[in-house]
Amino acid sequence: MAIGKRKKITVAELDRIRRRGAGPLRYYDLVLVSIREVLRKRRRYIGVLASIALGMAGFIVIITMGNDLKKNFNNDLDLLGGATIMNAMFEQIQLERQEWFRERTLAAIGRIPGVLDTTKVALKASAVTTWHDRLFGFNLVGCEANYWKVFSFNATVGRLFDQQDVDAGARVCVVGADLARQMFGQEDKGLGQILSIDDNLYTVVGILGGVRAGDRSQFVFLPITTALARVGGVSQPYSCYIRCATWDDVATVAAAVPGVVKANQPDRGLRVNVAWEPLKQVQRIFWWVELFIYSSIVATMILGGFGIWNIMMATVTSRTREIGLKKAMGALDSDILYQFLFEALCVTLSSSVFGVILGRIGIEYMSRMLGTRPPEGMFVLCLLMGLAFAAILGVGAGLYPSIRASRMQVVDAMRYE
Amino acid sequence: MSNQYDIADDNALVIDINNLTKTYQTGAGGISVLKDVNLHVRRGEMVAVMGPSGSGKSTLLFILGLFQPPSTGGYKVAGVDVLSLSRDQQAIFRREMLGFVFQSCDLLENSTVYENLELPLIYAGVRRRERPDRIREALGMVNLEHRLHQPSNRLSGGERQRVSIARALVNEPEFILADEPTGQLDRENSLRVLEYFTKITEEARTAMVVVTHDNMTAEHCTRKCVLTDGYLNG
Ligand SMILES: Nc1ncnc2c1ncn2[C@@H]1O[C@H](COP(=O)(O)OP(=O)(O)O)[C@@H](O)[C@H]1O
Ligand SMILES: [Mg+2]
Repeated sequence: MAIGKRKKITVAELDRIRRRGAGPLRYYDLVLVSIREVLRKRRRYIGVLASIALGMAGFIVIITMGNDLKKNFNNDLDLLGGATIMNAMFEQIQLERQEWFRERTLAAIGRIPGVLDTTKVALKASAVTTWHDRLFGFNLVGCEANYWKVFSFNATVGRLFDQQDVDAGARVCVVGADLARQMFGQEDKGLGQILSIDDNLYTVVGILGGVRAGDRSQFVFLPITTALARVGGVSQPYSCYIRCATWDDVATVAAAVPGVVKANQPDRGLRVNVAWEPLKQVQRIFWWVELFIYSSIVATMILGGFGIWNIMMATVTSRTREIGLKKAMGALDSDILYQFLFEALCVTLSSSVFGVILGRIGIEYMSRMLGTRPPEGMFVLCLLMGLAFAAILGVGAGLYPSIRASRMQVVDAMRYE
Repeated sequence: MSNQYDIADDNALVIDINNLTKTYQTGAGGISVLKDVNLHVRRGEMVAVMGPSGSGKSTLLFILGLFQPPSTGGYKVAGVDVLSLSRDQQAIFRREMLGFVFQSCDLLENSTVYENLELPLIYAGVRRRERPDRIREALGMVNLEHRLHQPSNRLSGGERQRVSIARALVNEPEFILADEPTGQLDRENSLRVLEYFTKITEEARTAMVVVTHDNMTAEHCTRKCVLTDGYLNG
């Protein structure tokens, strides 16, 4: 019989036993005990589980879809304000010859960090054409094929001329919407018509559209090559437009442009025009949006953290007797610490699993409403962040109560009724 | 007999307490609860510690169980000066050498008998495959093998106390401490528990200290001590 087997223990042996007992199997057993404990007392944890799960679901939906919303928002707001587009131009100074942008200058500007695209234009302010014996005045713009993209323009009717047209110096033109209505009565009637400008004939291939097309509704656009070659009195390309990747790049790019120009060509009369006011407005709006998103996240964290903290503290008090008993049975302080920590982790991790499932449902629902596809990469990132967050929450909020439990004196625990 | 703890000696001195005192510090000054306690318990002995309420029985029990230190005095268990051990060493010593039986049973709620007995083995780092045999053997000592997988809250009061005795036995202790082990049991169940105690001390030669104020319990012990005014007589 093993019970009653004689044992003699020395102090050295106690330390040996402690070292022997510190293997991974011990933690495995403690984890199992903790899981069992949580499962058996699940009713106690349902409240905090639900709140963390809901918080986590909200967190995932906000982050995943919030970014989607932000992108949409970004585009729309930017189109309205044109806040990321700036204009650089050379002014006419008295009687000196007006400077204009050289190819290598534009290429160098294109290489400034934060610049998305540049496009140069040649202008003629008072061009005229006749249509059915009526005289029409307009602004003539010779532009490159990427002009449309820089301003996010599109064609309401027909097409916008492309790189091929520019390379070939094709005799095609795009007409502003108001001008088209005045000349042809209806926009779509202009398509395919032949306009005579400065003794050359041009085919109308499209009518300009897009959110910012309004202030160019009296314009006629020709490929820049065609304009420079055929239109008398057209300027050299003394003006160019620079589109930045984000609002945050605008200030640095604007500051860098003069230096880059000066390094490549004479910069006499150079001026950089930035729409500072819309830029500030857009940034302000977005600051609020981001504040909202991040404060939601912080609120979730704080609420979840307090919940688990609170319940763990209550648990430690209500389980004083149990802690004393376990210590009487020979549990080390660290055994108690790990048990409580594992329990907290068990609650937060299973909460976050529920939260991820709920969040996924929310995302599906929202993206169906918005008619977009949920960004899967973002979701996976959120999933990982959610799990990491749960682990941090479990350790962060569970640690102090666990330490308190482990430090508890056995007498206090045993005398506690 | 020598002070040296002899592993082959069936009557070896397991508990060796000399000139033990305990004074609680309170706002109103010190309360001297134990003034000069000497207690020597050998293998196979079952010693009753009696005394009126407030005489310091629990205090002595907590000192014996290494739950709190005495103010002065010496305490050796199986030849080891346990007072000089660190907190962790004491915890390990407790699970290797000591067993506890409490008045209120203190089984873990919502757990089976098996899980209750497994816990001390987990703390002691006993391998998973060795546990069932150890648990069966301990339950066998109190004739409860058939209750192995029963939830502990579906046991009767007497059965619960027997399970907690088995739990005290499962780590094969040299010495068992019992605090009012029959305090909440009727006469029939009390007798049964006391019979198991006697069996354990006789068969396993485990030393036992039973704190009680119940005379019938004290009658079953091999020796009876009374705690009065901070002194242990008997
Ligand atoms: N932590 C403590 N601080 C101060 N006095 C205490 C403390 N614990 C116990 N006492 C006092 O010590 C005396 C003995 O208590 P106790 O050992 O519980 O006696 P018993 O178990 O015999 O009833 C009591 O008067 C009690 O009030
Ligand atoms: Mg008492």
